[in-house]
Amino acid sequence: MIANEETFRRLMTKAQAGDKLCYSSLLTECEKWLRRYYARKINPAAIDDLVQETLISLHRKRASYDPARPFLPWLAAIGRYRWIDSLRKIYRHEHDQLYEDMVADPQNETVTAKVSLERLLDRIPPKQAEVISLVKIEGLSIIEASAKTGQSESLVKVNIHRGLKKLSAMVETE
Amino acid sequence: MMSDMMIDRLVEDLTPVKPLKNRNGFALTLVVAAILTALVAMIAGVRGDILMGMPHPMFFLRGGALLLLGLTSSYAVIAMSQPAVGNSFKGWIWALAAALLFPATAAVMAMMTLPGNMAILVPRYGFECLGVSMLGGLGIATVQVLWLRRGAPVALERAGWLVGMSSGALGAAAYSLHCPFNSIFYIGLWYSLAVATCAIVGRLLVPRLIRW
Repeated sequence: MIANEETFRRLMTKAQAGDKLCYSSLLTECEKWLRRYYARKINPAAIDDLVQETLISLHRKRASYDPARPFLPWLAAIGRYRWIDSLRKIYRHEHDQLYEDMVADPQNETVTAKVSLERLLDRIPPKQAEVISLVKIEGLSIIEASAKTGQSESLVKVNIHRGLKKLSAMVETE
Repeated sequence: MMSDMMIDRLVEDLTPVKPLKNRNGFALTLVVAAILTALVAMIAGVRGDILMGMPHPMFFLRGGALLLLGLTSSYAVIAMSQPAVGNSFKGWIWALAAALLFPATAAVMAMMTLPGNMAILVPRYGFECLGVSMLGGLGIATVQVLWLRRGAPVALERAGWLVGMSSGALGAAAYSLHCPFNSIFYIGLWYSLAVATCAIVGRLLVPRLIRW
């Protein structure tokens, strides 16, 4: 069970005022939410690091949350920013099986649909999204992605670079 | 579990924070822009037609377009310090479109007829416009970059363009209080160059300064 938008907002507002108990609950709930958010959108081996980096970012940038506005779109913007940053860093991972039990099963369906990572990937050209998914998320090599997609190796690299650049510019896009 | 330990550390480190307020950041930008404009007026002097109480219409058109561009893009910059999926601040696009009418008109007019007074295109005057605008823009850009560093901007390249464009436009608006030229060719060339140069410098430098 993950907290809803209103609970997140209330906990964050109290955390900004220095309430450690609320902050602890907030971070625990955010961790759960982020694990589902990132499921299938990053190599499973990288999820722990990414969730932790996002929580640290939340901590460092907590003053940038406006209590008058919804919490999850703010968290999702930070989550997307860290995710793209993480995709840039990942070059080659072991080809792990994706965790089937981590398929997103979010609450707050309407909000989550608007802030999802799928929606972001859908907005870049399919060829770019495809090679980003293959190389950066599933962990294929450039050569393997090239063979699978029919794109030349240099085109795979170019499409990854361009795709990540476009994703960076669209972090706040619904 | 590693996350639990990290959460405990973060909780231990918690101190109260004041949420950033966009209106404070915007007000700070306005104050710096006003100081800058006063400095230009004091050091370089104000245009003669303003002192005589008969300002040329071009002064209002030019200053208005620059102010609109500077203010709308400054607001977008400040708002970028508070990220959220669904944020959209596009007012600056319309202000930019309006400001582009100046170089566009100058280009069309230049194709139809050469400027009557070529002296206005002499680089010496233009470089003064460019230099003062960029120097003023530097002060405004500094405030904006410091504000963004306090916040959490997530579109770094766009922030760079906007910081450069807004600071350049406000710097040029301040200089326009002194600038004696009313020619569309002069404005289309040198003012556009000033704003464009600041925008490019912003795009190149600002993302490195606000990355987090």
